[in-house]
Amino acid sequence: MNRRVAPAQIKAEKPVTAPPAPRATAHERPRVGAWREHHSRSFRTSLQRLTARPGATALTLLVMSLALCLPFLLWLLLDNARALGGHLDDARGIGVFLKPEVDSAAAKSLAETLRQRADVADVVIKTPEEGLAEFRSQSGFADALKVLQSNPLPTVLIVTPKIATAPTRGAPPIVDELARDKHVDQVQYDALWRQRLDAILAFTARLAGVLAVLLGLAALLVVGNTVRNDIAGRAEEISVMQLLGADRAFVRRPFLYTGLWYGALAGLCALILIGVVEIALSAPLGQLTSSYGGRFAIHGLSIVQALALLGASIVLGWLGAWIATTRQLSFGHPQ
Amino acid sequence: MIRFEQVSKKYASGQEALTDLSFELAAGEMAFVAGHSGAGKSTLLRLVALMDRPTRGQITVNGQNFAKTKARHVPRVRRGVGMVFQDHRLLMDRSVFDNVALPLEIAGCTREEIGKRVRAALDKVGLLAREASAPVTLSTGEQQRVGIARAIVGKPPVLIADEPTGNLDPMLSAEIMKLFAEFEQVGTAVLVASHDLNLIKRMGKRVLVLDHGKLIDDFRPATAKAEVPA
Repeated sequence: MNRRVAPAQIKAEKPVTAPPAPRATAHERPRVGAWREHHSRSFRTSLQRLTARPGATALTLLVMSLALCLPFLLWLLLDNARALGGHLDDARGIGVFLKPEVDSAAAKSLAETLRQRADVADVVIKTPEEGLAEFRSQSGFADALKVLQSNPLPTVLIVTPKIATAPTRGAPPIVDELARDKHVDQVQYDALWRQRLDAILAFTARLAGVLAVLLGLAALLVVGNTVRNDIAGRAEEISVMQLLGADRAFVRRPFLYTGLWYGALAGLCALILIGVVEIALSAPLGQLTSSYGGRFAIHGLSIVQALALLGASIVLGWLGAWIATTRQLSFGHPQ
Repeated sequence: MIRFEQVSKKYASGQEALTDLSFELAAGEMAFVAGHSGAGKSTLLRLVALMDRPTRGQITVNGQNFAKTKARHVPRVRRGVGMVFQDHRLLMDRSVFDNVALPLEIAGCTREEIGKRVRAALDKVGLLAREASAPVTLSTGEQQRVGIARAIVGKPPVLIADEPTGNLDPMLSAEIMKLFAEFEQVGTAVLVASHDLNLIKRMGKRVLVLDHGKLIDDFRPATAKAEVPA
C-alpha cells in the first residue's frame, strides 16, 4: 500500500505530452447521405422484423385495427343517419287532425281563425279526399284502399308556425293550444320528433368521439407495449450500440419506424375491416332502404375519410413507439 | 490521451471501487491494468468509456474533460474510444461484416467508405475471408478478433479492453495481446484490463496494478520494446 504512486510523482514522470486527438472521420457529425441511408435501412429492417414473426405481428395489427375501425364504423352509421334525417328538414309544420265529425265548413273557419294569429305563417287544409289521394299515390296501398267503403281519413290542417316565434327547444305554445281545441282530435308536431332525433344524433356523435379517443388510446398502448417488448428483446443490441457511441436518435430510429409500420398496416387492416362490414351489411340495408322507396342511399367511407383513418393510425403507431422508447431506453448507463 | 487526476468512484451501494487514482497514458502507449477481481479494473475502464461518472476527481480522455461533458455529448465521446469486451458482445443476428460496420454506421459513414474500412479492419485481424459469416460459426478466438476489428474500425484514438482474453486459451490469448500491441504502434493509446499476470509479464508493457481500488504500482519496463511471445 505504501508503494502507492502519488499524483505529483506521476506528473513528474509524465512520459510525453499527449498530442491532440487525431480526429478520424468517424468522429465527425453524421453526414446527410449516411443519415438518409440509416433512415431507409431502418425503414426496411423494421418491416423485415415485423414479417419475421407473422403471428405476433398479425395479432397486434388485428387488435389495433379493431380499435381503429370501431369508432369509424360508428361515425359512418351516424353520417348515414344524418343523411336520413336531412329528409325531415321540412318537418316544421304542425299536423292538426280534426275530429271526424268536423265538416269542411268548420275546418275552413278554424283555418281562418288560425291564419289571423301572429305566430302562424300559413295554414293549409287537407280534406279527407286529398289525404286519401296522397295516401294512394305514395304508399302503394291503392288496392287495399279500394276495399274501404268510406274514407276513414279526417280533415287535416297543416299549420306552419312563424320561425321567429318558434322556440329552439320544445314545442311552440300554439301546439298546446291546438291540442286543447274542441275540434281537434290530435296534434302531430314533427319538429319535436326532429329535435329528439337531433339530440340522439348529437349524443351518438359525442359517443363516437369519446370512443375514438378511448380506442385510439388503446391502439397507442398496443403499439407502445409491442415496441416495449421489442426493446426488451433487443436490449443487448441497444446496449452495444450505445457503447459504440450511438446517440438517442440512432437507437430510437428503427423502433419509431416499427411503430410507423404498425400504424400504417393497422390502418390498412381497419379499412379492409370497414369494407367487409359494409359489404356484409349492404344487402340487408339495401332491402330496408328500398322498402322506404329508396329515398336515401347508404354511403361508405369517402377517400378523405379513408386517408384520415390511415393518417391517424400512422400517427398513433409512431406516437406509441415514441412513448415506449422514451420510457424504455435508458440512455447513458448501458450495462 | 487518458488522464486521471485523484479520481474516486463510490457506488450507490456505498462500496468504494476506486480511491484517489491518478495516472496518465500517452498516445501510442499501451498499459495493462492488473489486479485480482474486485480491485477496480472494470470500474476504471467504465469511467474511461463514460459508462459511469467519477464521484470525485478529473478525467480527461482525447482532450475532453468528462466533468464538462453533457449527457447528450456522451455518444460523441464514446465514438473516440474503441471498446473490446471479455464476451466480445457481437450481435449474433448480423454478419461479421455488419458487426464491424456498426461503429461506422453510427458515426455516419457512407456505404462505400464503410465497405473499405471494414475490410481493412478485418484484414488487420486476419478475418477478411469470413466477412459474410455469422458470428456463431466462428471460434471463440475468431469472435474476439471480430470484436477487436469492431473496436478499431473507427480509428479511435483510445482503445480499451476488459479481460479480452478471459475466455481464451494461452495460445490464443498471446495472439490477441500481440494484436493490441500493434495498435499501440499506430499511435493509439491502449488500456487492457487483465488478471493474467504471466501474459502481462511476457508482454513487457507498462502495468497499472490496482488493489482494493487503489493504485499500488505503476510498473514501467526498462525497454519500451519487449520481446513478444510467439
